[in-house]
Amino acid sequence: MTTRHQIHKWLLYALALALVWFFEAMVLWRVPFFGVIPVLLPLAAVAVAFWEGARLGAVFGVCVGILADAIYPGVPGGMTLGICLMGLAAGAASQYGVRQTYLGYLLCAGAAMGALELCRVVWGLVSRLGSAEALGLVACKEALWSLCFTPLLYPLFKYVYGKVGGDKLEARHE
Amino acid sequence: MKKFFGSNGVLVALIAVLLAAITLVVSLIVSGSDPLANIVGTVTSPFRQAGAAISAWSERAFDDRYQTEYLEQEVERLRQELSAMEAKAREGEAAIEENKNYRELLKLRQKRSDLTLESVTVTTRTLSNWESSVTVSKGSNYGLEVGQCVIDAYGDLVGVVSEVGLNWATVLTAVDTGIDMGGMVARTNDAAVLEGDFSLMTQGRLKLSFLPQDALLVAGDEVLTSGRGGVYPAGLVVGNVESVHDDPSGMTRYAVVVPKADLDHLRQVFVIKSFDTVE
Repeated sequence: MTTRHQIHKWLLYALALALVWFFEAMVLWRVPFFGVIPVLLPLAAVAVAFWEGARLGAVFGVCVGILADAIYPGVPGGMTLGICLMGLAAGAASQYGVRQTYLGYLLCAGAAMGALELCRVVWGLVSRLGSAEALGLVACKEALWSLCFTPLLYPLFKYVYGKVGGDKLEARHE
Repeated sequence: MKKFFGSNGVLVALIAVLLAAITLVVSLIVSGSDPLANIVGTVTSPFRQAGAAISAWSERAFDDRYQTEYLEQEVERLRQELSAMEAKAREGEAAIEENKNYRELLKLRQKRSDLTLESVTVTTRTLSNWESSVTVSKGSNYGLEVGQCVIDAYGDLVGVVSEVGLNWATVLTAVDTGIDMGGMVARTNDAAVLEGDFSLMTQGRLKLSFLPQDALLVAGDEVLTSGRGGVYPAGLVVGNVESVHDDPSGMTRYAVVVPKADLDHLRQVFVIKSFDTVE
């Protein structure tokens, strides 16, 4: 794939990510559900990794993680590392085991959110942020509310993948 | 034809004369229009009416077209005017709100001349369920520093600056778990510690911990900052006591405090850059 094709492809993924971020930052935070707002950037990274595979998923995960570290409070660098690992795992799962269907994506997204929330609860307990019960409750609500948006994220990134994903751009120009 | 008129010419002439005579007599008897003219008029009337209608329609269509264009231009002009007026009204509302804030601030400044305040605008809320904070529009370029208290126009505590950039700063709101400062109950002067609690944060409340067992608090008691230690100014209104509970240890009690500042709808707040320490 030429550099131009690569730039074109990742610009489109970045655009879709920006759309998700805008939706989360401008719309969803105004309407908390059961007192929580969803976390969509990790799910967007998982969606890209799900289609593009482990290696590119991890690279995209690092970029999304840097953005997430900048906008979500927490341990500095935690999101960068976490979302990179999520991308790596989701990409590997879709390459070697999970079928590339909505259910497969939901499974990967659920696992990613589960891991993220578990880390947050553990960190919250270590830093004496609150009781395990209170932390767990917020974590569960956040994970479930975030997963409710997978029916929007899956078709969005599937569409982008369908247009420019994999080696499609190069194949189209040959 | 020649043959016809040759054999019937006289008859035809007689009929014609007769018809003419009848017409003459009738026209003399019947006042008004000529019967022939009447017949022609009657027959042609619908056509004339149709002609007039067509003419009127075409005139109206022309007028309508002209009028429509004119009205469309007028509507567009009025729409632009309305839009400009709405924008002015919005600006006016914002100015009224700002004015109200400044008026309250003026009262506060008169009341609390010991405080040096910096007006800042809340730009965003932090996108997290694990922290309660806001980002404000000024940073180190205006002398903001970590640990400075933030209040609203009424002097109610909003939170504490936790991070400062060049032209932005993060403010932990009063309910965040990172808040830890001296507090006191205005009515009884009982001193305690104001601190954020994770489970209360999700409900928009904070804790007044380490109250003595004999503290006689009632719901609605006003809670202020105590200013002990000189880190934060004294006398800032934090909120009101909602309920009082025994600590799990049984040694002390704690109160749940509802912040007085409307933390969900913050727009313009004031950072206390310096204050007089009360000994």
